[in-house]
Amino acid sequence: MIRIEAISKQFITPVAAGPFRRSRKQVVQAVQDVTVLAQDGCITGLLGANGAGKTTTLRMLGGLFAPDSGCITVDGIAVDTQPLEALARMGILGDAHGLYPRLTARENIVYFGQLQGMDADTANARALELARLLDMGGILERRAEGFSQGERMKTALARALVHDPANVVLDEPTNGLDVLATRALRDVLRYLRSAQGGAKCIVFSTHIMPEVEQLCEHVVVISRGRSVAEGSVAQLLERAGETRFEDAFVKLAFDVTPTGEDA
Amino acid sequence: MSANFFNNAWLVLCKEVVDALRDRRTLLRLLAPAVLMGPLLLLAVSTMIASLEERAEKREVMVVGIEHAPTLRNFLERQTFTVKTAPQDYEARLRATTLLEPVVVIAPDFEAALASGERPTVELVSDSVNQRASAGLASLQRLMAGFNRERAAITMALRGVSTALLQPVAFEDRDLASTQARATRITSVIPMFIIMAVLYGALTSALDSTAGERERGSLEPLLMNPVQHMALVLGKWSAVVLLGMTVALMASLSFIPAQWLIKSDALQAMFQFGFSEMLMFLLLQLPLATGLGAVLMALAIQSKTYKEAQAGSALVVTMVGLAPMVTLLNPAGDAPWYLWVPGLAQNTLMILVLKGEPLTFVKVAPGVLVAVALTLGCLVYVARTMRRAAAR
Repeated sequence: MIRIEAISKQFITPVAAGPFRRSRKQVVQAVQDVTVLAQDGCITGLLGANGAGKTTTLRMLGGLFAPDSGCITVDGIAVDTQPLEALARMGILGDAHGLYPRLTARENIVYFGQLQGMDADTANARALELARLLDMGGILERRAEGFSQGERMKTALARALVHDPANVVLDEPTNGLDVLATRALRDVLRYLRSAQGGAKCIVFSTHIMPEVEQLCEHVVVISRGRSVAEGSVAQLLERAGETRFEDAFVKLAFDVTPTGEDA
Repeated sequence: MSANFFNNAWLVLCKEVVDALRDRRTLLRLLAPAVLMGPLLLLAVSTMIASLEERAEKREVMVVGIEHAPTLRNFLERQTFTVKTAPQDYEARLRATTLLEPVVVIAPDFEAALASGERPTVELVSDSVNQRASAGLASLQRLMAGFNRERAAITMALRGVSTALLQPVAFEDRDLASTQARATRITSVIPMFIIMAVLYGALTSALDSTAGERERGSLEPLLMNPVQHMALVLGKWSAVVLLGMTVALMASLSFIPAQWLIKSDALQAMFQFGFSEMLMFLLLQLPLATGLGAVLMALAIQSKTYKEAQAGSALVVTMVGLAPMVTLLNPAGDAPWYLWVPGLAQNTLMILVLKGEPLTFVKVAPGVLVAVALTLGCLVYVARTMRRAAAR
């Protein structure tokens, strides 16, 4: 279970000035008062436009930087005070998911497994198991150098799942994937959510409506750094008084009545 | 906890080494110059010395107008020198460095002036830009001074004066340098090349495991593992040190077979570079590899791309690599502060090894202290910065 409570984060970024003027500093409120509660055996979607603050939120969940206020716990473990214990309970596929090009897919997966505290044999067995689950048998012993986008994503996902974490965090995992790969990924997530897949707590961020509609039991709408609405897809539709989820999202996120352009 | 810490560092080290070894092309580009350097360098030096020796053995003098000076000719031939007539355009050829020997120019009235005691002038022509020609000048001057002495001695003996009057003081040369130390005049460039080898060996892996990791987007996932940041940094740094030392080993090793290529017997006798010297060289590189490995990592972790990091580290690499030049530019001899400067310290100590002088604790300690301080400071900095760097 992942509990993100009222977290906020400010960044100070330099504003580009002329070549001879000193750059000014500008405060950007990236995240403000975001709350997400993700239950076990459930897929929780973070839905928001580009730049809404999804990645920042998930990076704080991964302990990359601490929130200015609010707190994050994973299965009751606070991320900022016990980061290593919290990280051991999460499999994170972040915004950046680069592989080591000179290692094979299996070596990439096993390396992370060992860093998670597994011995080499267990990690190798687990890599084989994940390769079956993610249908990546053909690429397991190939170097990551020439991988396609889909192959890279599968390897990165397997790497994040290698220690069989109870909590899975995915940041826009379907970016750049084709239809088949997206469908396969969806199946994997459904399996992980199910009882035989381990009834995992899955948090995943996206800006793609159909994905949320098809996958998520619980949706948190994030807009301009704030969590503005939450509930199931049906509940959100009802709350917005719309029949199309896209219209409901635009209404909830940006507080504008959709014009119904292609309705 | 601590066993876990070192286990993690070990895992990272293994992965970084495998990663570096698989990058065959980069590895080859690093090792090929390191291995070829020794033989090429020694070959060049020994060829030069051999040609100097050869000229000394040939005992030839280039002269213009020897027909005007039968007395001088007689003297030269008694000294077993062969007199050769210089080409007409000797001046132009000396300037163009196509003529590699100094030329003796004798005036037409030489013999008559000599007989009447009028001190005829003999010109010794060389060109100071033409190094080979000016190198031969000293022996030519000695030869002509010998002629002067002989003439003076004969004249004085005829008048019944002791020739000892001409030399009220007798002097003898005594060179304190050992044969090995004398050889370092020639071999003192070797340490500089070994320092370069360490630097370039450490450089690629230092950049790849920091800035490269950021560029590939693999640093963020790496930090999502429950591993102490210091363990990650320690593992990466160990790999950097290991690779730097491997290249240094290859470079040092290459000097051993290279000795067989030495053409000059005299140089071969002087140049002693066996396995014990090589071992000393390697041990002396350890502070350099550790300290600079850490510095390079600290510099590179701030860069988003490998290219940016390369530009950033160029200054450090050049400064340390060229630090030994200070010894060449400072005629006052080695200053105590040399031992505190990375690069310069190792160079100074390696030259001591080549000279066959003992290394004392006082001489080695400053370099080690600096290395330990640099290593600790930079590794702590990298561990602290890594998270912030990954997020950016």
